[in-house]
Amino acid sequence: MKKLICTVMAGAMLALSFAGCGSSSSSANSDSPSGTGITGAITVVSREDGSGTRGAFTELLGIVDDQKNDATTETAEITNSTSVMISTVAGNNNAIGYVSLGSLSDTVKAVKVDGVECNANNVKSGEYKVARPFNLAYCDGELSEAAQDLIDYIMSSDGQAIVEKEGYIPIASGSEYKSKNLDGKITVAGSTSVAPLMNVIADEYKKLNPNVSIEIQESGSTTGIQSATEKAVDIGMSSRELKDEETKTLTAKQIAMDGIAVIVNQSNTTDDLTSDIIKSIYLGNTTVWDEIQ
Amino acid sequence: MSNLKEVFMKILFLLCACISILAVAVICIFIFANGVPAIGEIGFMDFIFGTHWKPSSGEFGIFPMIVASIYVTAGAIIIGVPIGILTAVFLAKYCPKKLYKFIKPLINLLASIPSVVYGFFCLVVVVPVIQQLTHTSGKGILTASILLGIMILPTVINTSEASIRAVPDMYYEGALALGATKERSLLKTVVPAAKSGIMSGIILSIGRAVGETTAVVMIAGNQAVMPNSITSGVRTLTSNIVMEMAYATGLHRSALIATAVVLFVFILIINICFSILVRKKEKQ
Repeated sequence: MKKLICTVMAGAMLALSFAGCGSSSSSANSDSPSGTGITGAITVVSREDGSGTRGAFTELLGIVDDQKNDATTETAEITNSTSVMISTVAGNNNAIGYVSLGSLSDTVKAVKVDGVECNANNVKSGEYKVARPFNLAYCDGELSEAAQDLIDYIMSSDGQAIVEKEGYIPIASGSEYKSKNLDGKITVAGSTSVAPLMNVIADEYKKLNPNVSIEIQESGSTTGIQSATEKAVDIGMSSRELKDEETKTLTAKQIAMDGIAVIVNQSNTTDDLTSDIIKSIYLGNTTVWDEIQ
Repeated sequence: MSNLKEVFMKILFLLCACISILAVAVICIFIFANGVPAIGEIGFMDFIFGTHWKPSSGEFGIFPMIVASIYVTAGAIIIGVPIGILTAVFLAKYCPKKLYKFIKPLINLLASIPSVVYGFFCLVVVVPVIQQLTHTSGKGILTASILLGIMILPTVINTSEASIRAVPDMYYEGALALGATKERSLLKTVVPAAKSGIMSGIILSIGRAVGETTAVVMIAGNQAVMPNSITSGVRTLTSNIVMEMAYATGLHRSALIATAVVLFVFILIINICFSILVRKKEKQ
């Protein structure tokens, strides 16, 4: 009996590996020079379903089906962290991916989208179209004095200066912040994209208000919003727009904008991709680099 | 007075034992109470045998992930078990004492390396090699199998070594006396005599391979589609849960907990196999 199972399993694995020989060979054709310097299948890398970055990316580029649902190709590689995304694209000539502008690194190359470079100025002016808001969500009128003061600080010219310094795009031009020297405890939870910015802001705020302690938890946009709804935390961080059901109980305050950079391997010679091509790649209609001129 | 102390200690021990029982019970209740209604809502057949996982479109089919978990585990066993058993034979019967003192701690060290380190190692070392050899993205069943094959080595080696050492020397000596060579006596008499111990080691390592998450999520590709070759990317049951849990709401969240139910049943089956085997061994 055991021998039989072993034989069947070995047979199955063998069949599987043969199938691999047939289907995994890429249709690379080195005779036709492509506009990207890369031949062979495109390795599409995406974030996990439900991620704020993925939600914004698919929505902004129209990678959706008839019912406005996310239609990213099922054969896309999925990663749930920015660092794995960057090392995957850095280590694979054929890869394409996307990351938040603030976490972009030199090991990969950010391409222009429709001829517009991904940088803070272009996001601010609205020319670079793949950009999303950073929101804070809270129950209006129920905030503690300290929490309200923290939000005022972020919206002030001092707070927005930090936003700019960290590589994100400020959206308000408030007046200068004056410390009221409050004390208290503020808990903030949510998006892993907003958290790095929030950490810096919190440090600066604590310098001005030494008696306030701020606790920041990274748990993802949806969990952060949920915690704010349940009043488990004072403020929820979100890297996407709030859904209708969420705005019933919460107020959203936009604190910054963030660009989403489309990244390719350093050996890829293309500098510019149109949004239609990126859309086609992520929908799974364009599957080899050779097709891209 | 001493009597009182005895009673007190007895209650303390009992309480400690209760904590672990309570933990298991609460986990069971939690995942079944949250997961089973979700399976009902999605539909048992659509959930288990559905081949599309698109939470944003309301499709929750985990069949590709069940298949992925089985393939990856099978791959790990094919790679890890032969190496593990042969290493155990070497350690038990061939290894000089000085070398043993050196190798044994290294194997135990292998067991205590955090899985995220394994994952990152695989991402920067194994993935590029597979990429070069197969001209694919390098993430997939094969890479995950190699990784898990390495990760289960300590379990297989340690249990196999212990059970080979437990085989009475007369088996080995008897085979030698009948004229068999050293290798033949080991592989044909000693190893078969130790097989129930070796089997339980294999079952334990299956449990480890099925349950491994952090490392696998980094190098398996995580596509929720049916794999069509040994190099295609797959998403295992555990990866599915850990990747999407942070952002999931509503039915999506429940579907992830339902995925945990399926995983739980998997592990339960493996553990039952293990205890049957152990009981059989005790009867002998």
